[in-house]
Amino acid sequence: MTDRGFSLRVVVALARRAMLGSLRRPQFLAPLVLFPSMFLAVNTGGLGRTTGLPGFPKVDGFLDFQLAGAMTQSLLLGGVATGIATALEIEGGFFDRLVASPISRSAIVLGRLAATGATAVLQVTYFLVLGFLFGATVKGGIPGVLVVYLIGTVAAVGFGAIGQALALRAQSAASVQGIFPLVLVVLFVSSAFFPRDLLSSPSDVIATYNPLSYIAEGMRTPIIEGVGATSVLEGLAAAVVVVVAAGGVALLALRGRLREA
Amino acid sequence: MIQSVTVVRALVRRALNEILRVPGAAIPGVLAPTIFMLGLSSVFGKASSLPGFTADDFRTFIVPVGLLQGAGFTGAATGVNLARDIEQGWFDRLLLCPAPRVTLLSGVVASAALRALLPGIFLLAVAFSLGVAVPTLVALVIVTVLVMGLACAMACFSVTLALKFRTQQAAPLMQIAGFIGVLFTASYAPKPLLADWLRAVATVNPVTYILDGVRQGFVGGVTWADTWPALLSTVGLIGVLGTLAARGLRRYGV
Amino acid sequence: MAAIEVSGLERAYKGGLKAVDGIDLEVQAGEVYGFLGPNGAGKTTTVRMLVTLLRPTGGRATVAGHDVATEPQHVRRRIGVALQEAALDPLMTGRELMELQATLHGIAPREVSDRAEDLIGRVGLSDAQGRRVGTYSGGMRRRLDLAMALIHDPEVLFLDEPTTGLDPTSRTTLWNEVRRLKDNGTTVFLTTQYLEEADQLADRVGIISAGKIVAEGTPAALKAEVGLPHLDLTFDGDVDLARAREVLAPFGEVRADAPGGADLSLGVREGSSAIARVVRALDDEDMCVGRVELVEPSLDDVFAARTGSHLEGADVPVATAPA
Repeated sequence: MTDRGFSLRVVVALARRAMLGSLRRPQFLAPLVLFPSMFLAVNTGGLGRTTGLPGFPKVDGFLDFQLAGAMTQSLLLGGVATGIATALEIEGGFFDRLVASPISRSAIVLGRLAATGATAVLQVTYFLVLGFLFGATVKGGIPGVLVVYLIGTVAAVGFGAIGQALALRAQSAASVQGIFPLVLVVLFVSSAFFPRDLLSSPSDVIATYNPLSYIAEGMRTPIIEGVGATSVLEGLAAAVVVVVAAGGVALLALRGRLREA
Repeated sequence: MIQSVTVVRALVRRALNEILRVPGAAIPGVLAPTIFMLGLSSVFGKASSLPGFTADDFRTFIVPVGLLQGAGFTGAATGVNLARDIEQGWFDRLLLCPAPRVTLLSGVVASAALRALLPGIFLLAVAFSLGVAVPTLVALVIVTVLVMGLACAMACFSVTLALKFRTQQAAPLMQIAGFIGVLFTASYAPKPLLADWLRAVATVNPVTYILDGVRQGFVGGVTWADTWPALLSTVGLIGVLGTLAARGLRRYGV
Repeated sequence: MAAIEVSGLERAYKGGLKAVDGIDLEVQAGEVYGFLGPNGAGKTTTVRMLVTLLRPTGGRATVAGHDVATEPQHVRRRIGVALQEAALDPLMTGRELMELQATLHGIAPREVSDRAEDLIGRVGLSDAQGRRVGTYSGGMRRRLDLAMALIHDPEVLFLDEPTTGLDPTSRTTLWNEVRRLKDNGTTVFLTTQYLEEADQLADRVGIISAGKIVAEGTPAALKAEVGLPHLDLTFDGDVDLARAREVLAPFGEVRADAPGGADLSLGVREGSSAIARVVRALDDEDMCVGRVELVEPSLDDVFAARTGSHLEGADVPVATAPA
């Protein structure tokens, strides 16, 4: 087997292991969809009438608008979960077993990120189905759904890389868990839940520079308008930037940890 | 009686010690309600211009929600800490002491009531500094009583879960209950502006009346009509959830 | 070429603390090398450097012919590692972990299942292989850990305190497995704090204390350095000890102090075969021996002679020097 073939096989094996671990720990998996579902319900039920505010985009319902925000929140929490899983692996010693194996260093990171991406597909599916059940529609049809999956999955991998980088630096699950409030802060200063023009100052300004805004809008536009080149490209670009930047940081963090060891 | 008070005081002191000696563990719980308050008001601030909205600004409307969330988080944290004590064997040591079990429960729950004041005070300090009007003293007293009361009720609930599952892995269950309890009320908007389904849920949710009780003074004035349902709901929740917790404790280890 | 060659190996931390302070050792292929020392001596740090989990800050080491610092991937392909904590994933089954380990070590897909089955059977976990590791006992985890370390037939096997916390039966099982590996030609580097384990399994022993190797050799040779086996004698009734010393003098050296409440202690080169003659000689003088105990020097005595402390309870200073 070639080196590349071996590396691929290793990444798949580690991804499979990470997925099994997640599915066998439902108490970690459930919050990824339960918390965002709750917020989705309360936001929609409590503030549905805000669609009538001047400047609010034309939508069939507040649920259609909110779906992308809920997905973004869920995918971000998935990133935190990836970080926690990595930290637990380090604390438990299994990480050392991987490092002592004759596999490439990047496979250690990529394996878990592949699992994060696969989980993201499930998360996006959950919210799309939930939306459909409660009357949401995707104006962009099948292409629109595919765009949502694409941007969501790429963004999720980026968020997972952030989680891994944190875990490799902090090496403790409790520390990674402690960033949960920060995740909320970053989400609140974006246009994930409300139109950018209707945010209060200074969130409206910060949202313009927040990649989460473009990721959420990239997933939202196919739902409420249809597949528009600008927002899709911006959303995808923002997701790719997060992946590249965070992935690089994660690999550097891994290298740093191995060098310090 | 004096012995019971001494035990309760000792347990409360232990719980408060944890905050002093491991402040990093308490910080997320103290910060989270304020982050929610600031975040929600920065995102949904324009909602206050909806016809029928009872407050001049969304932040003032949402401050009471943050106070109750602090109570909810604290109550959940009490259960998580008990689950940790069970896992580490410390709880068995407590059960071996001669104090009645209801005293042990009272100590744990009383600590939650006091700890709930921390996120509340921090949130109010931030809110007042951002221009939210300071309520009257009477209103603040009512707020304090209701926040402490809800924290007790949530602590009873999460203690019940901790005694049943005996593992910190039940933490998300404890936290979600608090979230649902506080958010599925007239949290974001007055009841008439809610969607039908949420209005129906809010009507039967006892925390809605507690929220109304906390919100008076921030939005409108203090009235007995808003106060007695809040107090009754608090007492009722403590009664029901406290009974469950006491039963769970009696059955523990049997 | 030696399976493991270490020269001046060092690991220093910030602040100047040296966990490993310039050690030299060589382990021949097919040898079982026991690395013995108290807690905190530097055993695990040494192992972690040799298995490429920790970067040496000084010196050099080669394992299976490859430098641990410059050729770590080559080293990893040739070693098996079972660390101090059985690093297992509690959510996976034993079988799943074995197959994952096989994949990580490049075993061909068509061989993975058979190899996993074989090794699981060898360590006696066939019945438990479908259960999650989180339900395994400590002994079962250790056995699985060992099986995972062997899945790819490593040239060199590192076992870091493999029997710590195990019951006697599990410990014996593991010892038998180590003996079997040795018979098959696997080099085993075994760290332990148990004297008996090093005595039973190791061809040669290195004793480390405070980051330095203080003694190295076969267990027999090391023990012979610190003195002879001795007979501790306790008499029935009143006995003229001065006369007893004269009677015993032809058999060996009578020690200055008799430990453990005995009346006299006699160093005997022949060991247990001297007991009958000694007792008979004393009996001929009407000196009745109530109790006789043969005490062999231990590796703890070796450690005590070199460092002034004991291995078990390393902070207890030596009370009397052996004769």
